[in-house]
Amino acid sequence: MKNYNFLDDDQLVDALLVEIAGMLSRLIADGEEGAIDLLGLPLSPSCVAELERRLGRGEISVGLDAIGLSEIRETGFPGVWWTQHADGSGRVIARLIEATTIPAILRADVEDVKRGQKLLLASTHVACKTSRSAS
Amino acid sequence: MQNADDKGNANDDETLGAMLSARGIGRRGLLKFAIAMASSLALPPGVAPLMAANLAKAKRRSVIWLSFQECTGCVETLLRSSSPTIDQVIFDFISLDYQEALMAAAGTAAEKTLHDAIAANKGEYLLAIDGSIPTKDSGVYSLTGGRSNLAMLKEIAADAKAILAIGTCAAFGGIPKAFPNPTGAVGVEDLVSGKPIVNIPGCPPVPEVLSGVLAYFISFGKLPDLDERKRPLAYFGATIHDQCYRRAFYDQGKFAHSFDDEGARQGWCLFELGCKGPTTHNACASLKWNNGTSFPIQSGHGCIGCSEPDFWDAGGFYTSLAGGSAAGWRNAGIAAAVGIAGGAATALAARNKSRPDPEDKP
Repeated sequence: MKNYNFLDDDQLVDALLVEIAGMLSRLIADGEEGAIDLLGLPLSPSCVAELERRLGRGEISVGLDAIGLSEIRETGFPGVWWTQHADGSGRVIARLIEATTIPAILRADVEDVKRGQKLLLASTHVACKTSRSAS
Repeated sequence: MQNADDKGNANDDETLGAMLSARGIGRRGLLKFAIAMASSLALPPGVAPLMAANLAKAKRRSVIWLSFQECTGCVETLLRSSSPTIDQVIFDFISLDYQEALMAAAGTAAEKTLHDAIAANKGEYLLAIDGSIPTKDSGVYSLTGGRSNLAMLKEIAADAKAILAIGTCAAFGGIPKAFPNPTGAVGVEDLVSGKPIVNIPGCPPVPEVLSGVLAYFISFGKLPDLDERKRPLAYFGATIHDQCYRRAFYDQGKFAHSFDDEGARQGWCLFELGCKGPTTHNACASLKWNNGTSFPIQSGHGCIGCSEPDFWDAGGFYTSLAGGSAAGWRNAGIAAAVGIAGGAATALAARNKSRPDPEDKP
């Protein structure tokens, strides 16, 4: 598949890398996070592969299993994350490059933490004894 | 954008966040859904956390779905799926209170369900329509429970928050409206005024578009930006031609001239074979069908322009937009014409043979 803007892959990847560097500048200066939606750009599979290759792999890679599998990993450039979400059928539904210290989706949500705490306590023997004595 | 303040439904106090959490879908799943919807709606990725937060706080939205002069293809494409997809999550966000093809109730019980849903969600429900509305002879050509589609639409639209015209028939009249349009079929916006209407055309429509529109409406309480035909711009802003992976061949002047020539085998542009991609606005070239598997042009057939008004009468599917037919198809057309003429002659002969001769005497 060809890019219909007739820029070659290297030129497109260079443009994206410059944009990512700009996002990092804002992250460093103001703590402002940024993201690029790669599915929203008319990139060929070869261009995406070249971008992925040039960004490289960093120290962290995380799997997420929520309505399908996702992979969130830091690239070879700290603060630049490659995030790919798939649905239950394996289809890629979002592919992002994020400039952030940690992607928001990795943080536990407070409401989820509260629900988890209740379930945790309910699973203890203390809860079982309390339940038995109450009945 | 159209205003439609979103207060949710009074009869359902549970938030979507709590409901999904009880079903094992945490905030990460919700954020992932919002990221996918933001991407689908061409919104900046930074909008996704706000969208997820709004969805978590929102209430389920009542949807009343009426099927008029239609083939049920729209319902089939939107609801059938062999594996769980992100789009199915949207059905957790709505309360589908009335849908004749899916509901168990029938007869008077179904009519009561409809009236109860309208009464309980007056002014707040979304009205989804698939199928065109016949208007000729007071709309007598399509009835449900003895009532014309025309009367039902006017009554139920009056208390709707917004209306979704799903499929080309509901949006523009579609195939029932094709010449000679014996039932006087029209689309929803020809009959309803003063209500926010979004058209989601296609024969059938792309499921992701409905998911995106619903997600946007529930998240932000208003419809997304629309084009001049009331179609969501995020999905209908570009032509199939502009999104087509064969576009480069068009620019290079490389065309298939028949469905079996070297150009067709090389995957060249199908313009000369009648592809309507240059004049058709839809998202199927990027979202594709069957979980992103393919779309007509990728399968070797030109776009027929099914998301545009009057597509059935807009010239032959195999006539190019430049006005000509490719050689290969012209030959096939001649063969078909000969076949039809031969068939007609045979039928006429048979009919004449069976007709009683007035000169015959018993």
